[in-house]
Amino acid sequence: MSRAEGALIAVRDVTKAYAMEGAPVHALRGITLDIHRGEFVAVVGPSGSGKSTFMHILGCLDRPTNGRYLLDGRDVSDLSDDELSAIRNRQIGFVFQGFNLLARTSAVENVELPLLYAHRSRISPAERRRRAMIALAAVGLEDRAEHHPNQLSGGQQQRVAIARALLNDPAILFADEPTGNLDSRTSIEVMEIFQRLKEDRGITIVLITHEPQVAEYGSRIIRFKDGRVVSDRPNVSRRAAADELAAVALEPEDADA
Amino acid sequence: MRSSLAIAVRALRRNRLQTSLTIVGMTIGVAAVLAMIAIGTGAEAAITDQIRAAGMNLIVVTAGNYKMKSTDDFGGGAVEPSAALRILSFLEPVLLAHPEDDPMEKHDHPTARQRLGDSEAGLGSAATLTAADAAAIRGIRGVQYVAEGLHQNVHVAAGEKRWFTRLHGTDPQLPLIRRAWTFGRGRFFNAGEQSRAEQVAVLGSVAAERLFGDANPVGREVSIWRQPFRVVGVVTTASWIVAPAPGDDQFDAVYIPFGTVHRLLNLAKLNDITITAASTGEVSRIMSDVTSLLRARHAIGEDKPDDFTVTTQARQALAKGGMRPDVARAVVGNVSGLEKVTLEQLGKTLDRATRTMTALLAGIAAVSLLVGGIGIMNIMLLSVTERTREIGIRRAVGARARDVRSQFVLEAVALSVGGGLVGVIVGLIASSGLAHYLRWSATISAGAVLVSVGVAAAVGIFFGWYPARQAARLDPIQSLRYE
Repeated sequence: MSRAEGALIAVRDVTKAYAMEGAPVHALRGITLDIHRGEFVAVVGPSGSGKSTFMHILGCLDRPTNGRYLLDGRDVSDLSDDELSAIRNRQIGFVFQGFNLLARTSAVENVELPLLYAHRSRISPAERRRRAMIALAAVGLEDRAEHHPNQLSGGQQQRVAIARALLNDPAILFADEPTGNLDSRTSIEVMEIFQRLKEDRGITIVLITHEPQVAEYGSRIIRFKDGRVVSDRPNVSRRAAADELAAVALEPEDADA
Repeated sequence: MRSSLAIAVRALRRNRLQTSLTIVGMTIGVAAVLAMIAIGTGAEAAITDQIRAAGMNLIVVTAGNYKMKSTDDFGGGAVEPSAALRILSFLEPVLLAHPEDDPMEKHDHPTARQRLGDSEAGLGSAATLTAADAAAIRGIRGVQYVAEGLHQNVHVAAGEKRWFTRLHGTDPQLPLIRRAWTFGRGRFFNAGEQSRAEQVAVLGSVAAERLFGDANPVGREVSIWRQPFRVVGVVTTASWIVAPAPGDDQFDAVYIPFGTVHRLLNLAKLNDITITAASTGEVSRIMSDVTSLLRARHAIGEDKPDDFTVTTQARQALAKGGMRPDVARAVVGNVSGLEKVTLEQLGKTLDRATRTMTALLAGIAAVSLLVGGIGIMNIMLLSVTERTREIGIRRAVGARARDVRSQFVLEAVALSVGGGLVGVIVGLIASSGLAHYLRWSATISAGAVLVSVGVAAAVGIFFGWYPARQAARLDPIQSLRYE
């Protein structure tokens, strides 16, 4: 197949089936789509619709059963585990619902983590620390660098996770229900960061969510159901998190507890 | 590799309690290995020590000969007058053994008693051996230490107190031969004091107690033959079997450099020369070397008897053991190969026994290392389960399967080597404690330390490999979802 017109992500007829207690489960039943640089794609669908499986394949955490997946023009369907690891390290950042920070480890050490596995480039500990501090500063947590996850609020933990995801300057950020454990105010904060990343740094964002109102922050919304794409449309009336935050800040009493 | 180590160490620091408990297991294992090795080698050394202390490697050359070389060993031969004197001298050395007391002896110098003004001075010195003989014996292959010996009975005075005791003029090497000696106070006289024939004295603990009570005699002055001597040390025994008592030849005694005896008493002879062989097995060969060397030096013709006697401690014990002289002579004469058979074989048997014991102890220690290793494996397996999510996170940010594996292997190795190093310290302390308690020389060689740390690292790799492989095989998605 030819390079799909410069699409960052090109998926062709991807299926995923696995056996669960003997019975085959068809998580994806043939997905074909392109995602271009700088898009903020929100993938929505009920649980079991295959959206998480889809993200795992896009994120090189899993391989499709059939079909092809081209990441930046490169077919990753047949890459070795080591090669997939290298792609995850350099080109992809993940943000999870449960934050997935290392416990009993300071924020800055958590952020440094991807650099520990950047095998191609030798980075001194001081340089690692410097870059991690810059990434923390970008999410406004430079003064929390030595805090451990259990000393941080949920929103702060998610911002540490975002700083970690951005450390190697990836092309794509995958976010799997990033606001699932957050209250509405901090959810908006996280969305504000995402929108800023897209606008300022041109990072491609794939956001998985089951909440339609969260999907509204994306520039494009893809609906999944039963392992298929049921709709794929640009979101012209997308929410602007920055404006919402400004509006909330103007309110005399902060409703969030 | 270095970053994997950094990751592993960081991960271990997060679980301090678990880490330290696992380390304790390894520590005990390595400490046990080291202590067992130390006890094993210590036992070996102790047995060798006892063999040496018992005189198995001790050869004494005594001036004079009471046995005709040409006669048969059953004692039927003629006994020379000097030999008769020698036998009697075991009983009463003071009365008869001195050449100046021999009416047949001619000398043109004032006797020691005349020069020094002490009626006892110069009694008991003997004839044929010289310091040059001793120096020549030092050159024989396999000879470890040589100490010249001149023995007198003297009155030692400290202020008003006088004590009649045994005086030994000897060499600074004597403490190396008397392995059970320790110096509670001060030291033995040194080579410089010997070569300058200084008037320094080392008191046996019994003599010191009689003359000075509980006071420290070191630096004080005693007089022997009315000459002042400076006390430099007090010698006592480290053996817990024998307590020094009055009449004791070693501790109811005073030691001074033999050169000093020579100078003061105007003598050039030695009563005896004490030799140790570096190896018990060479005693017989060294005895015959000494005999031929001395015969050559004394220009003794082939048909003439020796003018000295070479004995081992065993023979001496027989000869001095209160047996009737003719019986002793018959016994000693009949067992010319005695040292060769019994001493060497006994030595070898003891060596074998200690080797078996060392192997047994090493086996016990190896089991404790194994248990420590299984402890590490257990903790690592547990930690793989506990840290499934951590593994998933690491994989998500780009850790390869082998990065995860090397992290867990290195964690296991860090645990085992860390435990091993602590174990080395504990083992050193334990074995020196044991050595002190058992009075054994528990020696830990650098080799033993290296081996046990190496084994600890190997245990870490061996028992860390399986859990690490389990960790590396985990599916990233499954581990991220793991609660």
